[in-house]
Amino acid sequence: MAQPILETRHIVKQFPKVLANDDINITLNKGEILCLLGENGAGKSTLMNVLYGLYKPTAGEIFIDGKTVEFSSPRDAIDRGLGMVHQHFMLVDTLTVTENIILGSEPGKGPQIDYKAAWKQVKELSDRHGLRIDPDAKIMNLSVGLQQRVEILKALYRQAKILILDEPTAVLTPQEVEEFFTVVRALRDNGVSIIIITHKLEEVKAISDRVYILRGGKVEGERTTADVSKEDLANLMVGRSVVLSVEKKDHPVKPNPVFQIEDLRVTDDRHIPVVDGLTLDVHPGEIVGIAGVDGNGQSELAEAIMGLRPVASGVLNHEGDDIKNLTTKERIHRKVSYVPSDRHRYGLVLPFTVAENIAIGYHDRAPNASAHGWRLEYGAMASRAEQLITDFDIRTPGPLAPAGNLSGGNQQKVILARELTREPSLLVVNQPTRGLDVGAIEYIHSQILAMRDQDVGVLLISLELEEIFGLADRILVMYEGRIVKEFKTGETDEREVGLYMTGGKKEQSA
Amino acid sequence: MSASKNTQSTGMLPRLLSPAIVLLGAAGTVLWLGATMSGGETFYFWGIWLIAAAGALYLWRYRMLNGPAEFKDHLHRAGRTMAVPIMGVTLAIIIGGVIMLLTGYDPFEAYGAMFFGGLVRNWHISVLNAAPLIFTALSVAFAFKAGLFNIGAEGQYYLGAMAATWLSLRIAMLALVTIPLVFVFAGLLGAIWMIIPAFLKVRTGAHEVITTMMLAHTARYLSPIFIRANGGDPADSTHPYVTDKILESSILPRLQEFLPNANYRVHTGILIAIVVALLIHYILYHTSWGFEIRAVGENKDAARAQGISVGKNIFRALLIAGFLAGLAGFNQVNGLDHRLYENLQAGYGWNGISVALLAAGNPIGVVFTGLLWGMLDAGGQFMARTTSTPSAIVEIVKGTILFLVVARYIYTAIGNIRRRRQRERAAREQIAEDARQEA
Repeated sequence: MAQPILETRHIVKQFPKVLANDDINITLNKGEILCLLGENGAGKSTLMNVLYGLYKPTAGEIFIDGKTVEFSSPRDAIDRGLGMVHQHFMLVDTLTVTENIILGSEPGKGPQIDYKAAWKQVKELSDRHGLRIDPDAKIMNLSVGLQQRVEILKALYRQAKILILDEPTAVLTPQEVEEFFTVVRALRDNGVSIIIITHKLEEVKAISDRVYILRGGKVEGERTTADVSKEDLANLMVGRSVVLSVEKKDHPVKPNPVFQIEDLRVTDDRHIPVVDGLTLDVHPGEIVGIAGVDGNGQSELAEAIMGLRPVASGVLNHEGDDIKNLTTKERIHRKVSYVPSDRHRYGLVLPFTVAENIAIGYHDRAPNASAHGWRLEYGAMASRAEQLITDFDIRTPGPLAPAGNLSGGNQQKVILARELTREPSLLVVNQPTRGLDVGAIEYIHSQILAMRDQDVGVLLISLELEEIFGLADRILVMYEGRIVKEFKTGETDEREVGLYMTGGKKEQSA
Repeated sequence: MSASKNTQSTGMLPRLLSPAIVLLGAAGTVLWLGATMSGGETFYFWGIWLIAAAGALYLWRYRMLNGPAEFKDHLHRAGRTMAVPIMGVTLAIIIGGVIMLLTGYDPFEAYGAMFFGGLVRNWHISVLNAAPLIFTALSVAFAFKAGLFNIGAEGQYYLGAMAATWLSLRIAMLALVTIPLVFVFAGLLGAIWMIIPAFLKVRTGAHEVITTMMLAHTARYLSPIFIRANGGDPADSTHPYVTDKILESSILPRLQEFLPNANYRVHTGILIAIVVALLIHYILYHTSWGFEIRAVGENKDAARAQGISVGKNIFRALLIAGFLAGLAGFNQVNGLDHRLYENLQAGYGWNGISVALLAAGNPIGVVFTGLLWGMLDAGGQFMARTTSTPSAIVEIVKGTILFLVVARYIYTAIGNIRRRRQRERAAREQIAEDARQEA
């Protein structure tokens, strides 16, 4: 009954330093919906890029309809009936739906495009698959959900028999997700075989027929969706032992919170609520870890705390005052420190020197500037930077080297040096170790713990459960803009937290 | 930016040298800018030797303070930054020569005339050309530092010129009072003209390239109305489209007043331009205002995350840019023309963009590229007059220089993209590796 249409055998993808895919065998049957479930960095995207001809596998074979194939570019993959919809759409905003769909394989003779035929084909395709859309609408006037339909139609127009969808629901609203599921089922019933890459358990349960779980570049298991529970899936996905790399001493927590958030609501750039009634508090001398899958409002929460994103409603209480209407500068000067997740975009001015990057934020006060804050004191900036370069072991040619010339770990150390030496009362840390090597991670973890031991209240946001478990005293699980569960670190394990993180289990909580 | 602290101090000598260098350099600059040739005799060109002496003393002092190794490094770095513009100019001149050869002109004769005309015979015209260019180029360069493109410096220049004329026709006070007043007023009007683009940029995100350019044309067509309103009787003017002559007290001092043999048209505007360039350099690199503006220009997200207001700094940078372009109008009216002509002073705003680009937005560099541009224009006219070569060849050389400089930008941009790709790839692999190690 099950007839394989796509098969990988022993796929290995070795990057210069990393083994991203390690002996991957998966089979996609004709007319089924297959999910690839895994955490960030589990090797899902690498595998998809191998399938789509973007990467050449180091070893292994790909079979389509039982015949071995070799792709040297996505063009080859498309010719073999593969279609891919990326998480970020590749559409031309100012062109119409029809124009976008035919772009690159326009019907007609020579330089002439047969728009009439194209329009008919698009219409026919969208009717056949139940992907209702106006072929003449401009992309910029369409909602994200409809834009996704255009991407799918684009693949179908190129005769895709196999459709790969990368995190398809990440950008959709709940209603759009429902419609998307209907569309995907209709496609399956029309004989299209579909692979969905995801890290959401609910999605796997709702839509797929079968699921492969990837972890650390390997296939951790294969299950028929109907026969597996969310708990089992969560276990397979995140189940691993916690390696405590940094020693954590017991430290008494002060009873009065330094920072409290009450019923906070924040919207994203599209005015969709992303932090939706969030309440938490942070006490001096504790690390509160926010666990959650990427895109559940964590970054928006951090930005709202720092005044980088407007607060729709709620209270941000720092040492007794509501700071929600203060400027970022005022918050910084109230001793709220912030380590952003994207250090190149938000953390550093890369062409500026290390000394300037350490001074920024306090650049208009002594000792970085003269008493009236007008003239910069480069000498003082440089000597302070030199001190911190020693203290934080920053590997740089000197304080006057541009920050852009440093390695990622050392750039992060520059940010830490700046933020931690401001004697913060509250430290907001978002993904402090993303993309860093083990040595740097360990160092940064020890510095965060040192802050806690100096009675700083630390709010740690991380996508890495290991980091949360290694550092946090309390774990708050954030899901769809809300804290859905609170744990004491010692009283839970990664499986349980993972289940709440992926929406597998919900609890009515205040 | 700042000198490193590891001084190998050798006593009093370096400290005594500093004022000597400044004095020598300043005196040499004034002399050189006032240099002229009249009646076959040359005057004040020896000022350039004073500048050279000041430069040599500076290098000697640097070597004493920082040691030979650091000195060598310093020379290397300076050479690297100078290499691209110098190569660009040389290459452009060669290309211009090839074009002349192909079209039947004698490049040696033509270039001989151009350099003789631009650097010696009509050097005073080069200087006169350079002054307004330096102001408008400073305006464009300043906006560049905030990541903005003031393409409409021409408009603020016109506004400054009108403001300068208006006030200079009306206040009769001591020159010492009048001139600074007019200076500030012209700059202010240039800045006020910039309020609209600045406001639109901050509030709605309207691109400053569009808004400043549109306002440049508006300002240009306001000028005839202004001139009619302040115009003299067409009967006693050789040119009907011109305002009355401004009052004597508002006229900028001429160099002749302290260099008797200088060309009588050359005025102190060029010196003011150089002082303003130094001031802008100071603001950009030694004040917290400049720091914030540069931070916003380089990475506005990171600047914002550190409490630097992006809107405020964009506003500030655009207004200062408007002020600087307005000063070009002051220079032209109070220094050279002493009245406002219609259509006769067009183009300094647009050419300022080229001058700023060529200097890569460096305010000190603008002084040199402004002089180069002024020299090419003056030399080109002289060349056209004395040889049969059309002055269009100079425009070709100018265009080629710009092209080569912009090509360098393209080159750097490609390098940046490649580096970013490498970094991203490394980061991705790192993430994957982390996951591996956890598993």
